[in-house]
Amino acid sequence: MRTISFLFLSGFIFLAVFVQAQSKQYSILIKGGHVIDAKNNINELMDVAIQSGKIAAIAKNIDPSLATQIVDAKGMYVTPGLIDLHAHVFAGTDDRGLSGGFSALAPDPYTFRSGVTTVVDCGGAGWQSFDRFKKNIIDHSRTRVLSFLNIVGDGMRGNPYEQDINDMDAKKAAEKALANKDIVVGFKLAHFAAASWVPVERVVEAGKLADMPVIIDFGGDNTHAPLSIEKLFTQYLRPGDIYTHVYTELVQRDPVVDLNTRQLKPFLIPAQKRGIIFDVGFGGGSFNFNQAIPSIKAGFLPNTMGTDLHTGSMNGAMKDQLNVLSIFLSMGMDIQGVISRSTWAPAQAIKRPELGNLSVGSGADVAILTVRNGNFAFKDISGNRNEGKQRFECEMTIRNGRIVYDLNAIASTSAQNK
Amino acid sequence: MKKFSILIIVLLFLATFTNAQGKLYNTLIKGGRVIDAKNNINALMDVAIKDGKIAKVAQNIDAAQAEQVVNAKGMYVTPGLIDIHAHVFWGIQPNSYLSNGDVGVTADGFSFRSGVTTMVDCGGPGYKSFDTFKRNIIDKSQTRILAFLNIVGEGMRGGDYEQDVSDMDVQLAAKAALDNKEHVVGFKLAHFTNPDWTPVERIVAAGKLADMPVIIDFGGGKLPIEDLFFKYLRPGDIYTHVFTELERRDPIVDLKSRQLRPFVIPAQKRGIIFDVGFGGGSFNFNQAIPAIKAGFLPELMGTDLHTGSMNGSMKDQLNVLSIHLAMGMSLQSVIERSTWRPAQAIKRTELGHLSEGAIADIAILSMRQGKFGFRDIAMNRQEGTQKLECEMTIKGGKIMYDLNAIASNVKK
Repeated sequence: MRTISFLFLSGFIFLAVFVQAQSKQYSILIKGGHVIDAKNNINELMDVAIQSGKIAAIAKNIDPSLATQIVDAKGMYVTPGLIDLHAHVFAGTDDRGLSGGFSALAPDPYTFRSGVTTVVDCGGAGWQSFDRFKKNIIDHSRTRVLSFLNIVGDGMRGNPYEQDINDMDAKKAAEKALANKDIVVGFKLAHFAAASWVPVERVVEAGKLADMPVIIDFGGDNTHAPLSIEKLFTQYLRPGDIYTHVYTELVQRDPVVDLNTRQLKPFLIPAQKRGIIFDVGFGGGSFNFNQAIPSIKAGFLPNTMGTDLHTGSMNGAMKDQLNVLSIFLSMGMDIQGVISRSTWAPAQAIKRPELGNLSVGSGADVAILTVRNGNFAFKDISGNRNEGKQRFECEMTIRNGRIVYDLNAIASTSAQNK
Repeated sequence: MKKFSILIIVLLFLATFTNAQGKLYNTLIKGGRVIDAKNNINALMDVAIKDGKIAKVAQNIDAAQAEQVVNAKGMYVTPGLIDIHAHVFWGIQPNSYLSNGDVGVTADGFSFRSGVTTMVDCGGPGYKSFDTFKRNIIDKSQTRILAFLNIVGEGMRGGDYEQDVSDMDVQLAAKAALDNKEHVVGFKLAHFTNPDWTPVERIVAAGKLADMPVIIDFGGGKLPIEDLFFKYLRPGDIYTHVFTELERRDPIVDLKSRQLRPFVIPAQKRGIIFDVGFGGGSFNFNQAIPAIKAGFLPELMGTDLHTGSMNGSMKDQLNVLSIHLAMGMSLQSVIERSTWRPAQAIKRTELGHLSEGAIADIAILSMRQGKFGFRDIAMNRQEGTQKLECEMTIKGGKIMYDLNAIASNVKK
């Protein structure tokens, strides 16, 4: 009897002390939101609990007394932190365009206010400038910054640098990528003007050497007929390679929608089935309703929703990641469709399946979004207008378990729940 | 008969002339409510723009006279906002804080989406770094960038640099300011931590030499602000971070009685100008709410924008205005304090209003109704039912931002 009471008592004391020392089981509990997690096939009301920077639990009705801080997400969507597959964040103060120059933007001002927790810089740095990119931007950013390494050694420095085939060294690019596998997720080719397939061959060679995907901006200029995208998709790219600026309508570029018939060309859906990944890459000059609307009507949806963020797009028709998603809502895509294309789909495209989902144990990168109802309108890059009834707004962004943006103070202060 | 033919010729000439000229206006903003404090306008008015200037402000201007029409029904049309307190000297120089370092932000990424057309960098560059600031920031920005030059030669580089009284050179600062009068509007003192009046004396001396105002962030010396306002500053000088409640700073609201201290309104009457300078650590409801209740309103709504405030309680200029609406200030009042009053404070009276002939810097804003929440830097929460949203920003007659595509396409 004495032994039993001793055991009971000491067990009880131990538990009390343990609970006290642990204080709460969760650091943050997001209550009452509608979770969209494409990887785990969740699209319903769920609570999400975070502890030590990781997703600790996803379930209905998690007890708020278990959490230090409560976030009231009633009426909101709770999604994995968005991944912008196509951004230009290699900012700098040299006249180097998107490669350490004024056209690029340091990421943190543009990401968290738009629900984005990961950006992939799309070819700003080449193997020669990557170390500077890492030192100046990646290491100073709270946003997770990944990189498509430019096949041009000097990166996206503008002309004539980006036209220099001699600076497209597949081996050196692959070496740099493999030496920085924690950051580099693939290779970029962009802005090449002449009618030559050599740059495409070089970037794919680098991709093969490093076992990484490539992403193609199919350049061109007005001095020659555009290179055939059908040929690109069927003869040059591998399944898993990415074609960006998919809805561009420019004279120098072979479009996905035929300019005469205004029908989607017949080889696009087969190319997508073959595994070519199509990215929006909206930018300052790369998104036309005349291409996007017929494509979507024909069942050809983009795989990823890259913004092509830079100084030339941030205040124009593009604006930010959520504006891009809202534009696709206005063209008839659904909320789950655009969220999965900016979370789980890009995570898979860059072979980072640890990102873009809310599985228990994964890093707690979370976006909390509202869909506003009203009369909104959007423009494409040629000034065409499309009206919509919905617009996304970022209520909160959590990066690595920390609240990094809270628009309407929906988080309780920690003290209130202790 | 001859006279008649001449009349016909004149008429033909006029018709041809009008045709060649195209439309009378480039852009016409129709149906909005204009708030223009300088001209005492708070009424439904159309605003016409030609060649980068305000051409006409009147009721019912004919839409056929404009190449492009902006539908501003239900919106407010105001002068482009002036953020008197921003930190835009972004750079990649290591350990350089707000002077060519990565704590500053890119101006254009925050200005136009928030209705702002002019930003005054608040002490980023000193006389030694102004040329770099001009080359990297002023010349590369679409936003109009002005500057309070730091009294410290090295500028706002943080740490020991800003404590170095020997780098506070009155003559060199005043000379750099006068050499760059087009961009420099005054001087800044900030972050000085010792209980020593010398830096204040130096900066006011520079202000006198250049005939420009100074703006004071009152560091950490715990010196009495009453002395600052009455013994050191001149009428027209600016005190920023006015609603801060920090251990190291003398507050305007007494910490025990929670009453506005008796000398603050007299200081304002004397001509001391008070700026919000919200920032990452400089705005407390515990100071602001009692102060406003006691009838003390800030003259200026500076954001203190930098990477430490952009995603925090501050966010952007319109969020700062909305917070002041939540505390009971009127729309007209917060707009005046971010347009005409800052223009006067920096002696740029060509800015901050919509007089005919003025530069066509314009913000078009919507007032959202709903339930909104705001925070101060101590995480206290304030609810509000209104929030300003930027629909369009026009700088020098050019549309820089159009949230909901309210501008028609151009018809010549």
